[in-house]
This record gives sequence, C-alpha cells and structure tokens, in this order.
Amino acid sequence: MTELMPAEGVFSLIWLLIALPLAGAIVLLFGGRRTNSWGPYLGVLTVSASAVLGVLMLLGLLDRPAEERTVEQTLFTWVFVGDFQADMAFQLDQLSMVFVLLITIVGALIHVYSLGYMAHDPDRRKFFGYLNLFVAAMLLLVLANNYLLVYVGWEGVGLASFLLIGFWQAKPSAAAAAKKAFIINRVGDVGLSLAIMLMFVTFGSVSFDDVFRSTSEASEGTLTAIGLLLLLAAAGKSAQFPLQAWLLDAMEGPTPVSALIHAATMVTAGVYLIVRSNAIYNAAVWAATAVVIVGLITIFMGAIIGSAKDDIKKSLAGSTMSQIGYMIFAAGLGPIGYVFAIFHLLTHGVFKAGLFLGAGSVMHGMNDNVNMRRYGALKGLMVITFITFMAGYLAIIGIPPFSGFWSKDEIIHAAFERNAFIGIATILAAGITGFYMTRMIAMTFFGKPRWEEGVHPHESPAVMTIPLIILALGSTFMGMALLFWGNIESWLEPVTGFASEPTPLPTMFYIGVTLVVVIIGAVIGWITYGVKPVPIDPPHGSWLTRAARKDLYGDAVNDVLVVQPSLATARYLSWFDDKGIDGFVNGIARWVGLLANTLRRTQSGLVRSYALSMVGGVFVVVLALLLVRMN
Amino acid sequence: MNTGTFNPPEIDYLAIAPILIIFGTAVLSVLVEAFVGRTARRPVQLVLVIGSLLVALYFVISQAGTRTITANGALVIDGPALVLWGALLVLSLLGAMLMAERTLDPSGDVFAARAAALPGSEDERQFTQRGWVQTEVWPLFLFSVSGMLMFVAANDLLLMFVALEVMSLPLYLLAGMARRRRLLSQESALKYFLLGAFSSAFFLYGASLLYGFSGTVSLPGIAEAISAKPSQGPLLILGMALLVVGLLFKVGAVPFHQWTPDVYQGAPSAVTGFMAATVKIAAFGALLRVMYVAFGGIRWDWEPMLWVIAILTMFVGSIVALVQTDIKRMLAYSSIAQSGFIMLGVIAASAEGLSASLFYLIAYGFGTIGAFAVISMVRQSGGEATSLSAWAGLGRTSPVIGAVFAVFMLSLAGIPLTSGFVAKFGVFAAAIESGDTWLVIAAVVASIIAAFFYVRVIVLMYFSAPAKEPAVVAVPSAFTTIALAAGVTVTVVLGIIPQPLLELVANADVFLR
Amino acid sequence: MNEVIEPNLGETLVFWICGGLAVVGALGMVISRKAVHSALWIALTMINLAILYVANSAPFLGMVQVVVYTGAVMMLFLFVLMVVGVDSSDSLIETIKGQRVAALLLGVGLTIMLVAGLGAGLSGAGTIGLDAANAADGGNVQGLARLMFSDYIIAFQATGALLITAAVGAMVLTHREYWQPRKSQRELSQDRFTDGGHPGNKPSPGVYARHNAVDTPALLPDGSTSAISIPAPLRARDDARAIDVNDITNVRRLTEGESE
Repeated sequence: MTELMPAEGVFSLIWLLIALPLAGAIVLLFGGRRTNSWGPYLGVLTVSASAVLGVLMLLGLLDRPAEERTVEQTLFTWVFVGDFQADMAFQLDQLSMVFVLLITIVGALIHVYSLGYMAHDPDRRKFFGYLNLFVAAMLLLVLANNYLLVYVGWEGVGLASFLLIGFWQAKPSAAAAAKKAFIINRVGDVGLSLAIMLMFVTFGSVSFDDVFRSTSEASEGTLTAIGLLLLLAAAGKSAQFPLQAWLLDAMEGPTPVSALIHAATMVTAGVYLIVRSNAIYNAAVWAATAVVIVGLITIFMGAIIGSAKDDIKKSLAGSTMSQIGYMIFAAGLGPIGYVFAIFHLLTHGVFKAGLFLGAGSVMHGMNDNVNMRRYGALKGLMVITFITFMAGYLAIIGIPPFSGFWSKDEIIHAAFERNAFIGIATILAAGITGFYMTRMIAMTFFGKPRWEEGVHPHESPAVMTIPLIILALGSTFMGMALLFWGNIESWLEPVTGFASEPTPLPTMFYIGVTLVVVIIGAVIGWITYGVKPVPIDPPHGSWLTRAARKDLYGDAVNDVLVVQPSLATARYLSWFDDKGIDGFVNGIARWVGLLANTLRRTQSGLVRSYALSMVGGVFVVVLALLLVRMN
Repeated sequence: MNTGTFNPPEIDYLAIAPILIIFGTAVLSVLVEAFVGRTARRPVQLVLVIGSLLVALYFVISQAGTRTITANGALVIDGPALVLWGALLVLSLLGAMLMAERTLDPSGDVFAARAAALPGSEDERQFTQRGWVQTEVWPLFLFSVSGMLMFVAANDLLLMFVALEVMSLPLYLLAGMARRRRLLSQESALKYFLLGAFSSAFFLYGASLLYGFSGTVSLPGIAEAISAKPSQGPLLILGMALLVVGLLFKVGAVPFHQWTPDVYQGAPSAVTGFMAATVKIAAFGALLRVMYVAFGGIRWDWEPMLWVIAILTMFVGSIVALVQTDIKRMLAYSSIAQSGFIMLGVIAASAEGLSASLFYLIAYGFGTIGAFAVISMVRQSGGEATSLSAWAGLGRTSPVIGAVFAVFMLSLAGIPLTSGFVAKFGVFAAAIESGDTWLVIAAVVASIIAAFFYVRVIVLMYFSAPAKEPAVVAVPSAFTTIALAAGVTVTVVLGIIPQPLLELVANADVFLR
Repeated sequence: MNEVIEPNLGETLVFWICGGLAVVGALGMVISRKAVHSALWIALTMINLAILYVANSAPFLGMVQVVVYTGAVMMLFLFVLMVVGVDSSDSLIETIKGQRVAALLLGVGLTIMLVAGLGAGLSGAGTIGLDAANAADGGNVQGLARLMFSDYIIAFQATGALLITAAVGAMVLTHREYWQPRKSQRELSQDRFTDGGHPGNKPSPGVYARHNAVDTPALLPDGSTSAISIPAPLRARDDARAIDVNDITNVRRLTEGESE
C-alpha cells in the first residue's frame, strides 16, 4: 500500500475538477431562460477546463515516483457520528487519474458533439445542465476517498442518468425507460448501501485506506458478503446479469447520452467499484468467482442480444453489455485481470463513444430512424461517419493494431492463465462480436438503400464530425499508446496490483486463434447481411420459414449452429426481458398498488373507524408486551 | 394544625426562561386581543410573536451548557431538551412566518376572516371583503409552542400530560380555521380533537397504572422502581403500553396514524407545515425521554413492540403514499413513513440513537416546513392546487420553485448531499450498532418504496406535460420567502456540511436523570 | 413505608356497589340513544366516583368531583342539550361493515387483558390508604396544597394555559361579530314605518281542527290564505302548508254531518 500524499501544487485543485462542471450545472439549471443563448457553451467550457486540469494533474503525477502518486485532499469532515467518520475528501491516484481523463476528455468531446446534435432542441440548456451534473457526479464517484462519498456520486450519476434517459419525456417510452432504469438501479444501490453499512460495522470506517488496510482483520465470510453486495451494486450500475434489463431501454435517451453515460463512463462505474475494492476481492475468493460468472454470462447475453436487434442503438447497447461483461470478468480474475479490466474500459470508452456518436450521426442523417433495416449504402454519402465508424468497428472486434485488439487480447490471455475453459468461452464471445458488428456495418453502410420515403441522408456538420474524428484516432492508436508508451500495467500496479501467470501455450497462439474466430464471425456476418439483400421486414425465425430458406443458409454450417440459435436465444432473452424482468418489476408494482389500495380503503374518513383501529393498535401493543414479558 | 412545614420549590428561572417567555407572551397576547384596536392588533401580535420567539431562542443559546433538573424534579434542562428547544423555536419562527403570509391568497390571510361565520354565509363574505383577520390565532400559536417546550423538558408524567394538552388544544383549533375549503378544515379539526382526546385518555390511563406500579409519576422515579422490583408486574407493562400509545398517536405511528392525512389535508398549509415539523419533534422528544429515562432498564421488553410498530409505520406510510393524488395527503403519509425511520433511533436505545434521532428530527422539520411553504405558494383559481395533477410540468413553468421542491423531495427520500441522507444514515447506523440489522434492512427496503413517490413528484414536475389547468406559483411576501429560503438552505447545508449539527447533537446525547 | 391496611367490610361493600354503579353509568352513557339520557348516566358515574374518592380518604377530591363535574359541568351539558333540543337523537345506523362486531371484540379483548393484568398486578398488594399521607401535612386539603404548590407547581400553572386556550377557542369558534353597527330600537321602529311595511302585529298562523302549527297560514275573510302569517324562514324554505279548500269543506261536512 502506498502512502497518501498531501495535496500540493496543482493537486490542491482536485476539488475544482468537480466544482467546475457542478457550477456549470447550477448556472444552467437555475439560471432560467437568460442562459439559453450562452448556456450550452458554458457547459462545454467547464468540462473542457476540467479536462485541461486533469491533463495537468497527469503531468504532475508523472513527475513523481510511483509510490508517491496517491494524493489525498480533505476538504472537511463530512459526517462524524460516534466512532464513525466520513470526510468530504478526494483521493487522486493512478486509477482515479485515468478515469478523470476518460470522463473529462470523452465528456468534453460529447459536449461539443451535442452542440450540433441538440441544436434544434428547445430544452437544450437543460440538457447541457444535466450533462454537466452527470460529469460532476461521475468525477465525485471516482475521486472519492471513501465509500460513503462514492455512494453520493453513485446516486448522483443515477439521478443524472434518470433525468437524461427521460429527457424526451413527451415519449411515453422514454419516461417508462427512465423509470425502469431508476427501479433496477435502486436494487443495486441497496447492495452498495448495505455493503457500506457492513464495512462500517466490520472495520469501523468506510474510507478506502482504512478498509483496505484492515481486510485481514475481517472473517472471509464477512468479506465475501461485502464482495457480493458490491457485485450487486456493480451489476445494477453496469447493466450486468441479472440487472441488465434497463440498459437496452435506456437507449430512449438522446444519443450523446447513450455515448457518454450508457457506453463510456457511467456503466463502467461497476468495474471501477470492483477494481477499487480489489483488496476485498483478493481476500474473498468466492465473491471473486461470482464476479467472473456474472461477467461471463453477461458477455454472452450482450453479444447475443446485439446480434438480434435491428435498432442500431439497441444493438450497440447489447454490445456495451457484452464488453462491460469482459471488464467485470477480467476484474473477477484478480491481480492478473484488474489492470486489463481498466485497460479495456479505457479503450472501450473511446471506441464505443465513437460508435455511438457515429450511430447518432447516421440517425441525424436518416431523420432519427434507428431501424438498420431502413439504412443501407450510406458509405458514399456519409464518408467521415463511415470511416470513423469503421475505426470503431475494427477496434471493437479486435483487429490489430486497433485499440480493442490490445485490451481484449490481454483479457483473453489472462483468462487462459486462469482456466482454459473460460478462455475458450471468451474467444467464442469475441467471434460473436465479430458477427454482430459486421452485421451492423453491412446493414448500415453497405448493400442497397432501403430508406424510407423522403429521407435524404447527408453528412453531419463539423461540430459533430470533429469529435468523431478525434474518437476514431483514439480507437486506432490508443491501445498501442497505452500499452507500449503509457505502460498501463506498471502505471496501475501500485493501486491494483499486477501478476502474470504462465500459460501452457505461447501467447501468439492465443492471439492467432482469437483472430481466426473473430474473422470467421465477421465473415458469417458479411455473408448473411452484406452479400445477401437485407429484407426490410425482419424474417421470421420459426421452423417453417427456416426450412424454406434452408438452401439459402445451407452453405454456412455455422449459420445454423450460431446464428439461428443466437437469434432464438436473443428472442427468448428479449422475451424474458419483457415478460420476465418487466413482469417481475410490474408484478411488484401491481402488488404494491393493490396493497396500497386495500390499505387506503381503511382510510374511510370516519372517526369511529379510526378510533377502532387505534383500539386495535392498543390491543396489539398490550398483547405484544405481555407476550414478550411472558417469555 | 400544621404538622408539615412547607418548602417552596426551588425553580431555576433562568434555565426555564424560554418556556416562561413564550408562556408569558401568550398571556400578553390574549390581553392584546382584548385591549388593542382592531387594525393595530395584527402588527402588535406579530411583533410579540416573533420577538418572543427570538428572545426565547437567545436564552436557549446563551445557556447551551446548562444541565439541571429544576422545580422539584418536574422540569429537566439537559442536552436533548436544549437542542429540541432550539429546533422547536426556530421552526416555530418559520411556521409563524408562513402563518403571517397574506399576499399569496388574493383575498388576504391564510386563516378564515372569522372562524365563527358559517361557511358560505353572507357574514363570511362580508368579513372577508372587509379584510378582517382572526388575530386570536397568535395567542393560540404561542400557547401551543409553550406546550411543546414543556413537553420535551417534562420529567414527570403529570406535567408531560398537561404539556401534551397545552400543545395540542390550540392545534385542534388552528387546524379548523382554514380560509378556503372550510368545511373540510372544520371536519379535520373535529377529527383531530376527538382522536386526540381518545389518545390522551390512553396516556392518562397508562400514567395512572405506572403510578400504581411505582408510587410516583416522575420518570427517574419509575426507572428506580423498575430496578428496585425484580418481579416487575403486569402493571408496569400495561402502564407502559398505554402510555406509549398516547405518544405514538402524536408521532403518527401506524395504526394510530389515521388522523394524519385528514388533518394535514384539511388544515391551512401554513398550520400543517408548522404542525408537521414541530409536533413530530416534540412528540419524539417526549417519546425518547420516556423510553430512555423511564423504561431504559427494560428495553428488551419494549423493543419488539416498537419493531412491529416501526416496520408497520414505515411500510404503510410508504406504500399508501404511492397511490395518493393529493400532495398534502401524500406528504402526510410521507410523514408517517418518516416517523417509522426515526423510530429506529428510538429502538437503538443508545447515545448514538438519541443523537441520530435529534439530527433526523431537525432535518425532517426543515424539509417539511419548506415543502409546505411551497405548497402554500402553488395555487389555482380556487386556492391552493393540492391535486397532484395540477403540479404537472411545474418544474418547467417555475424552475426555481420546482427545483426547491425537488430538493425537499430528494431530502425526504434520503438522497445523498441532502440533510435527509445524513439523517437516515445516522439512524440506520445507530440501529445497526445496537444489533437491529434486520430492522435496518427492512427500513432500507421501505425507503426504496418511499423514494418512488418522492421521485414521482419530481418526474411529474419535470417530465409531464402541463395540466389542462396548470397551477401557478404565486409571488409570496418576505414572510414565506424567508421560511422557504431557510428550509432549503438548511436542507442543502446539512447535506454537505452536517458536521456542526452532528457535533451539537453528539454533545447532547444523554438525558439527565 | 406505610403499613398495609386490610380493607374492612364496609369499605369493600362501598367499593363494589359504587364501582359497579359507575360502570353501569358509563355503559348507559354509551348505549343511550338520547343525549339527555347519556348526560344523566354520566352524572351517575360521576357521583359514584365521588363517593369512592371520599371512601378512599380523599374528601376534598370527592367534593370537587360533585361540585365541579356533577354540579357544574354536567348541568351545563344538560342546559346545552335542552337548548339544542331534547328530541334530537343521532342516527345509530352503522354504515361501516363489521365495525360493531370488531369494536365489541376488541373492546372485550382489551378489557379482559386489562382486567387480567390489573388483577395479576394488584392481587395481594393490599391497600395503603391516604391516612398516613393526609396526616403528614395535617389534612387532605393541606396535603393536596403542598403537592400542588411544590412538586406540581409547573403543571398546576400550565393548566391555566389550557383554560385560557379553551376560553379563547370557544370564543373564536362561536362568538358572532357584526360587520355593520347594530340598529338601535329607535332605528328599528323607524325602519318599520319608512319601508311601508306592516306596522302592527302580523297575523297569527291559522288555527284549525286539524292543523294548528306555525306552518299553517291564516285564512283571510275571503277564504284566501295570508302569506305573512307564516314565519319568514318557513316561507323562504317553502315549508308552508298549503290549505286545501276541499279540506275546509270536508271538515264542514263532517261537523255538519255529526250535528245532524
């Protein structure tokens, strides 16, 4: 464990990282119509200033030896009850630093992009206000030095996400999606709040430093409980099985929101939480195993859902689930995986933001249609969008030298270090990724135009394409930069620890196999959706239609083995999503509503019935006391 | 023939000065009603009320360190009492501000011009037109405040009972004096009165049984009797049960809660805000004192009973609030649910539990009075727009008031960076430390349910299209503005820097016995 | 500690008789349909309680009970009830399903628990009586006074707040003010003439064999009815009885028939 250094020099401004966007949010949300004209620019400015500050702090950290890179700044004691103390204090270390950079830089780019994307929205000012609020809350989450403050940021990003998903509240589906996200996230929040209480009871403190120093004092059972509760929290925020259902619906929000919150940053908070709590998971093997299992299930669920959705954003959302599954999975592997979880998180944050913004650019040109079956042949009309999207595409499926290759390959390699079976599973999932991303590319940019009447696709304005270009450059070079120039393993090692175990076969073998599987997946995707014409109406996947099309699909054995079961599973999963999870949530809601109405009926408005219930209460109170006494 | 010599009681007049000041001013205020001309009454009363509250507050602050039992053991001035006094006086001041408001309603005051005039009669119309005001509300208000101050400092059950009545009786009257929807208001006042009397009877019965058990009505005396008698009889249990029922009624615990929604809805919003904040504080202050001082030795007996009541209260309050369509009723159920959460601090039966409860009460008081201040400002043609549907889209038409109300809702829901979060965290942590983990889990689940209806209001204000007849926010005078500003400032400041108040309540975490 | 005194037979008899009557009175008060009866029942309870107080060596309390409650408060109740109308009785039809059964069960259950608890708590406790306490201060009144002015001085004074609140409250809720100056006798009589109204007494309501209530109009010599013979509120409510001409002829025919 490294020493906590006092915040001096540029680090005395840690609070300003958060204060800037927060001030922006306050001005925008309370400023009223006066700020309509210049408000959005203020929003961009505050986040950009935070980004600049973040870069300065990075340089400051690089100046220091590795063991002095954990800086703590205490503003004041926030809550102090009895033995319990929680400070309003920030901790900037290598892990927080990369998050700060990701949040502020990607955040700033998305703010710029939103200037164009939201140009015609009457509530533009409020949108930027919410975005700033989100950035502030997310920075608080990653800069907090104790779990209670993390919880504050955790709720803050939840609130901002809720407000932004429901931003177009006129659409009932958006309001419903916001509500669903809120409900499911609250389940995760319970996990976090119970974990915090348990930590407080066990360690007498909730600060990172105290908790991690004293993990050896707690029993493994307690640590496992804390680990599982934190996993529940992470699953809620990061849309992991079994709390994944809200993410697909969250795509009702404006696309920049999907890019910033539901792809690059907020949904990775769960990964942050688990990696940050590495000391707990290192000491609680079962909790770590649960993390691996949850991650692995979600990798496949997300990939399969991504293969079946025709809505471009939902398909990307499935892919996000799957990629975060990789990160959670890696985080569960322990010291061999933490670093790569964060590495993949960073590269994914950039390329997925690029993909989402690209999708937004496409939608912008297609009158906000999200159905990929009504796209096609856009590569000539939206050149910049196409090229930048391709960079993201190559990055996500993991083609060298694009950034996703480096990070995903490291995770797969780490999986093989632990266990060949889970390694093979991750390779298979990489193959499915190749399939669905190729399907997306093929349906959107290639083939014949299947546009709706009156749609005239066009390239987006520069304010939107410039962020795309920057993100595309990131998607291309960032992996190499972080790995070879930035030395991500040794950078993060003081915080997360790092270990490497030998694998039975040479590294190049795994890389080769992975690439082959990915390319097979991509080829299947290309054959199915790039070579063959794409029907406008989604084909029925029933036995009869499939038999009728058998000769069309017969040439690809994997089609039957992968695609159709995938589609069927995807349909089952989305059915499960609708009927299972929704049914569960709605069922609870209905049950609670019924109960509420029954209880409400006792409120007759007549004094004698109130008095009767009081007498009943007296009866119960007396009886309860007498019974307790008799025992 | 006089065999005994009479020793006059020694009374520390300085220590109980806040009570005496409010009490004396209340009497003076009655005289003002009798002798001051009609037009001058209102300003004179306002000066008296606000002045006396401030002077009393000064005396509370100036003797922050006082710990004494005075008047032959009848009154105890200790840490909790002083903190509660301070909170009660400040919140009463804000309540007085709300009650003094007269620009929100186009026809004037928040109270009926003449409570005696029949609703809908020509008399009523004439009085209203002439701008008469019922200034008798001010002495009633002061009597109620003096009762609260006595209630939280009473060290024997007899004084506690008298204080309970002194506190409640004026409130029954004030609840029935709304300017608009007068029949509803009068009905609610009568209900409040009848049920309040019913619950007082239980309190009195309990007190007499406890006297039978211990031969004294003083709280420390009862505690002594409990520790002195190893075979503690059913008399004690029965007495405690009935006594607690009387107090649980005042805090609005299930199943003694049913008056709450009707009264909160019927009473004028200014009175509701005042009452919701201060009565809850006073009643919990007394409940804490009784449970800690008198029955602290048999906490294993009463804890299971309070578990049941607390869980019922949290869940019934939260669940029924979900289906309310009237904002005042919704807040009434919310106050019920909050009572359940505060009860965790009572059940904890520890120094942490006490200080956490005090913090919770203060945070809740400011949030609630602020919320009712907003309600009194949101109006339609027929008066206050209490129907939730009229609030749709309010956040867009009046961003500042929408945001302020959202802050109160978030605080009541216990979202971080508001006072409500720190408060909830405090009582939950105290309950966990006392080993009531399961109760805390139940409370967390209940607070999730509760979060729905709080957030639902925010959703309604921001995400819904404005209603057909949208409510408008009337511009208040300085009175309501001050109350509202104080409410929102305290709510936010206590969320971000709760430390000073936490230290204050941590220094006041023992009852003097 | 005072010595425990065993109650003698007389005391026991007084307790059971007066206690029983007090309970009967309380039940009667709740069960009676008419408010006046309820008031009388409760007077019975109060008197019996007073006797019990006296029997327990608290003569002052007994006297106060009689003078204040039975004398002043109950008589005031009766006055009010008489003014409101002795005949008015509330509708006793219960509209809430199960209310009565539940109330009865809970009431009985609570009673059983309380009686059982009290019985268990008090059995073998014996009585102490007030004799020792009274002797300490030289008498019952002196003893009460000492307590009231020492230990319970604050409570005693705070009770004053209750009385003031009650007085102010009663006035607020009932005192009717006039928004215009009240007319003097002179002005009233002037009004009566200047309005061109009816200066003399108004005709009294009609008096017939079948109807002689205030809602029956007087008959004018031409057989028509006089509107002003009915009190104005009844007219305003349209509560005046119509006089059926056939009625008059029927009556006439009947009486003439009888005389034949």
